[in-house]
Amino acid sequence: MKDVRADERDTTMNDVKIETKGVQVYYGENHAIKDVSLAIKDKTVTAFIGPSGCGKSTFLRCLNRMNDTIDIARIEGEISIDGEDIYDPRVDPVQLRAKVGMVFQKPNPFPKSIFDNVAYGPKIHGLASNKAELDEIVETSLRRAAIWDEVKDRLQAPGTGLSGGQQQRLCIARAVATSPEVLLMDEPCSALDPIATAQVEELISELRTRYSVVIVTHSMQQAARVSQKTAFFHLGDMVEYGETDDIFTNPQDPRTEKYITGRIG
Amino acid sequence: MSEGQHILSAFDRDLEGLQAKVLRMGGLVEAAITDAVTALETRDEELAQKVRENDKSIDEIEAVVNEEAARVVALRAPIASDMRLVLSVIKISANLERIGDYAKNLAKRTNILLELPPIEGAPRSIRRMAREVERMLHDVLDAYIQRDAKLAHDVRNRDEDVDQMYTAIFREFLTYMMEDPRNITACMHLHFIAKNIERMGDHTTSIADQVIYTIEGNQPGGERPKGDRTSTEVFEG
Repeated sequence: MKDVRADERDTTMNDVKIETKGVQVYYGENHAIKDVSLAIKDKTVTAFIGPSGCGKSTFLRCLNRMNDTIDIARIEGEISIDGEDIYDPRVDPVQLRAKVGMVFQKPNPFPKSIFDNVAYGPKIHGLASNKAELDEIVETSLRRAAIWDEVKDRLQAPGTGLSGGQQQRLCIARAVATSPEVLLMDEPCSALDPIATAQVEELISELRTRYSVVIVTHSMQQAARVSQKTAFFHLGDMVEYGETDDIFTNPQDPRTEKYITGRIG
Repeated sequence: MSEGQHILSAFDRDLEGLQAKVLRMGGLVEAAITDAVTALETRDEELAQKVRENDKSIDEIEAVVNEEAARVVALRAPIASDMRLVLSVIKISANLERIGDYAKNLAKRTNILLELPPIEGAPRSIRRMAREVERMLHDVLDAYIQRDAKLAHDVRNRDEDVDQMYTAIFREFLTYMMEDPRNITACMHLHFIAKNIERMGDHTTSIADQVIYTIEGNQPGGERPKGDRTSTEVFEG
């Protein structure tokens, strides 16, 4: 008998969105990422898991050149999105980050109104030519982040006055407002309670229909719940990358098995 | 099964406790088969009664295993090899419980057979078949403790022999019944006994599948060799 929901998880037909080849990252003397080659698919949630210091966040930050801001960081190898090298000198990192949005561990809304938090990106990137267009972008973004109904009557209230879970969804709305193609999330639920976590996870599943989502998480259960592909990092190596179903039922590498089952090793 | 202990040592104790209970159940079921067949062969009413009474403890352990497994799932959210282990104890204990029931049924029929004229030779054929199932069960439990997938595959293939023995017994009983219709009642009971032992073999094979899944992470694929031809062929005595 066929598992009828298997099609929902199947990503084999999805295009490759991000491709990395032989990526090395050094922080001064420290070799933080060792030769990572990985094809991240479009319209797929990809989870990066691994113990603290394994390099998963570092690797995530390479995907929108956030490591550029760290002086001692040096990156080798190739990273391309839709076949275009993102480290090409002609690429403007600011434009790149509009295309590759990011959500952080702690919700970090600007100390501005809810409306302005979302409108900021579209304004600086010139995505709206008039007020009506901007209003529409803000509404669509807040709807996509599943927070519209909660804030539509108080768009001028400060974003920092929202609850933690609402702030995080506001940050997701801000990230999707610039029409990104990829969303990077660095432990987006670690500061949230279980209900807010469930709301963000449900949102991630919806975002998957439009974007390629890459999420770093310390919660095995979260990776298992939201992702279709999982990559396990350990001491700067990418040890195993495969279908989430396989990783959590029958991982092939003993290091993966030990980590996800919580064993000493 | 992965090497190494959990950082949470209570998790290890939970998993060890579950396996220990399954193995204890296995020991009781093995004894039930041996005693039931001995009671049949030696026409020992008391021993048959003991088998029937002991089945309760097997059922009780199964209930405890299910409860504890549910608790481990709820509290520890086991994944990978831990999850496979928890699934295996639930399924293996269900199989053992069924085998125990068949042994109990065998003992019940022994009490009826004691009131009927003995059928020469029949208990011996049944004992040979039961011995083979008992060995398979013993080996599959060993394979479980030792995490020996090869031995479990071996057990899986040996079910064919049990099936063949059953086919032979089926023909033997047909002959007895044709020879003398007064044998029919006893032979019908003996046939149910043989069928029950054949079913024990099937459950043992299913345990072997679980052992393989626990160790290798995949359900063993492919058709097993089958030797029971009684449901597909016409035998005339």
